[in-house]
Parts: sequence; structure tokens; C-alpha cells
Amino acid sequence: MSSESPPPAASGDNQDELILAQKEAIAQDIASNASLVGNLEPVYSLEREFSHDAVFMTKIGNLKGRYAELRRTRPDGNCFFRAVAYRYFELLLHRPDEYERIKALLPRAKAQMIELGMPTFTLEDFYDNFMDHVDRVGQAHMDAQQLFETFNEPGQSDYLVVFLRLLTSMQLQRNAEFYQNFMEGDKTVAEFCATEVEPMYNESDHIHITALTEATGISLRVIYLDRGSQTEASLHDFPDQGESAATTPLVHLLYRPGHYDVIYPVKSTSESGPATSNATVTTTAELSS
Amino acid sequence: MNDHPRLTAVFARLSFGRTSGKKPARKATDNPKWEKRLQKELMAIMKDPPDGITVSQDTLEGSDLSQICVNMTGPSGTLYEGEAFMLRFKFGPKYPFDSPEVVFTGENIPVHPHIYSNGHICLSILTEDWSPAMSVQSVCLSIASMLSSCKEKKRPPDNSFYVKTCHKNPKKTRWWYHDEDV
Repeated sequence: MSSESPPPAASGDNQDELILAQKEAIAQDIASNASLVGNLEPVYSLEREFSHDAVFMTKIGNLKGRYAELRRTRPDGNCFFRAVAYRYFELLLHRPDEYERIKALLPRAKAQMIELGMPTFTLEDFYDNFMDHVDRVGQAHMDAQQLFETFNEPGQSDYLVVFLRLLTSMQLQRNAEFYQNFMEGDKTVAEFCATEVEPMYNESDHIHITALTEATGISLRVIYLDRGSQTEASLHDFPDQGESAATTPLVHLLYRPGHYDVIYPVKSTSESGPATSNATVTTTAELSS
Repeated sequence: MNDHPRLTAVFARLSFGRTSGKKPARKATDNPKWEKRLQKELMAIMKDPPDGITVSQDTLEGSDLSQICVNMTGPSGTLYEGEAFMLRFKFGPKYPFDSPEVVFTGENIPVHPHIYSNGHICLSILTEDWSPAMSVQSVCLSIASMLSSCKEKKRPPDNSFYVKTCHKNPKKTRWWYHDEDV
């Protein structure tokens, strides 16, 4: 195959190639500088990046009381899905109840995906692979280190991401009437899924998060570290529990504009066992004041 | 899956190709399992071929999975009824996370408003709207459906300019998908 030859001499005729080559170079650069899933680091490591920024520094300072550690993911457009998947699999290592729940839920989800007309052949490939990993982790055939390695192996890691993208697409399409309210212009939900959900490297938005948490029953809290004027990072729980915040979400993510990382509440890192609910919890009301 | 004797032989040949070719160094973004996925796809097409679509003899006899050819017959009841076409797929190591390169090849390139005379196809699922849940089979079906909905056989308006200036790999073109109805 010789199709990867450099642009021909008359490159003035074809700017497309240069642009695409640059995009590929950027992707390779990101890939060589950021692991798909990084090691645990203390939350205060964020301070190094934002030392010049008073608003962020205040918010990070206030986060430190509630969150101990951070795990970065590669900013490749798949970060939301990869972060959720990693943290969830990590929890499955210690949560037989979650393992039983998700094991019962996924076959139903798969049937719904097929019912929607998703291509059975490829879907089964992604489903089987995902289920296989759920089983391996849930039945202790894989430990935290192997999980970490799996998520850093591109083919494998992306296989898991694809399945979550398909689940999200399924949830949106099955509830198309509702989600149509959030579409821009005259885009249909099916078109949105085909262009913004199923293809890799497309960034996730509120609507992806809502659909994925609905489809999986995985509760999620996103801490938004952005330029808002308050001194506390704002947060959003999925599914939305309003002011009650009765239960602590399973998975916590830190959002910075354009990117999601995994964040670990104080005393509830991966090693702390099932007692995630004992972590320091701040209610929605307190945080959004 | 390997129960059919002829398919088993083909499968063995395709598998053999995996070890015989020299491998370029793997990049951080590559999928080490792309050939396995592709073998499964080809097996599925051979076992249960969709209407008008067959894997070419050369592909079946060859051992290189990075390039395969598929015969397509113009769908009946359309402007292309009875015509024979050939599609060439090229796969990179990021398949199926990245799309394959797909062009019409051979003597008969369909005359269609989204198909250039050099075989390049303007179809969004082949670049930015590609999803890993798609496959050789679903690409063939999308292209067949594109042919079926055509009302007038003609080349794209910018055919002669494009064919003169484009890269031979259509994935190196940044396509503008303007006319979704044809």
C-alpha cells in the first residue's frame, strides 16, 4: 500500500491533505503525551496548571476538602466515555451488587439495540467484549493493575468506549420524542446519533451524559471547573436528584472546558472497598450557594 | 464459525496472511486486533451474502487483508440494474475505529452525482460520520442505497477539476456533504 505518500509537489492545489495531515499529527502528539488513562494523582496537581488563574485556584482549593485524587484521561474526544467506563469497572472490582445489576441489565439493553435496527454483527462483537470484561472484573479474574493495562491498550480500550457510545445512541433513539426537544435546527435524534454519538472522537455533551446514565443506571456527578463567577465549582448529578441528593453518585467526573477526568472523593479511592457512601458528601444546596 | 469446509480453507488462507506480511511499527493509536475483526466480517459476508454483493475471487485467493474487493450488481428496478461494479476497500491499523478507504474501481464506475469518474465516492459515513458499528457489509448497503435513490445518471458538477487535483486516497479529501437527498 503506497497511499500514505506525502502530498504531491503541486500541493497548492490541495490544501485538504495538509489540513488532514496536521490533524493526524496533532492526534499522534496527544497520543504520545497523554495515556488513555493516567495514574492517580492528588487533586492539588491541578494547581500547577492553573496557578495563574485566581478563579480556578479558589475553586480547586475548595475541591480539595471533598476530593482527594484525580485520574486523567486522554483528551481525544472519547474522554467522557473512557472516564466513566474506567471508573465503573474499577468499582466493579469491589461491588458484587453492581456486578449483578449490570449483568442483568446489559442483555436487555442489547435486545433493545437490535430492536432499533443496529447492525447485529458488529453490535454483538462490542457487546460480547464488554460483557466479557464485566465478567472478568466482577468475578475477580482481573485485578486493578490488569484493568489499568487493558484501558491503556488502544484497541481494547476503544472497544469498550464504542459499546458505551452505542448504548447512549440506543437510549436517545428509543426516547427520540423527548430528546428531539434538545436538537438544534431540524436535526433528528437519529441524525444526531449518527453524527455526534456513534462516531469515535466526538466530544460528549450534557445530552450524552443524560442518556448514558439513563441507559445504564450508573449514577454520576460532574464537577464543573469553569470560569463561572462563584467560588465553588458547580456540580450536576445524573440522574438529577434535585435538592435531595439522597444517595452519593457512583462515579465522579471533573469537567474542565472540553474535557472530563475521573475524580475520587476523599476516602473512596478504588482500594476503599464498597463503602463509597461514607465519603464526605456535600449536598447540592450547599455546593451551589 | 469454521464449520463450512470451503470457508474454513478461505479462512485459513486469510489468517495465514496475518503472519506472512511484514508489519510496520505500531503507533500508539493503532488497534492491534483490526485483522481479526475483518476476518469475522468477511466470513459473515461469505456465509450470508447480501443481495448483489459478493467478495471478489482475488480477495478470496489472496492473503492480504489490508485490501479487499467486493463485486456489486446494480440493484434491480434502479438506473443501474444489471450493471457490474467493483468496490475496493483499504483498511488501516485503526480499523474499525477509523473508516476504511472505499472507492469504485475497474472499468465501470457508476455515473452518479456523488461518484467521481476516478471512483471516489462522496458519502459522509466514509469519513466523518463513520462509526465502528459499521462494516464492509453496511458500507456496501449504503452505497447500493445511494445508487438506488438516484434519479438521473450524471457526474458531480466539479468532476473534471476534482479528478485532476485530488489525492488518490479519497480520505485525504475534506468532503463537503451538501446534498443529502440524492
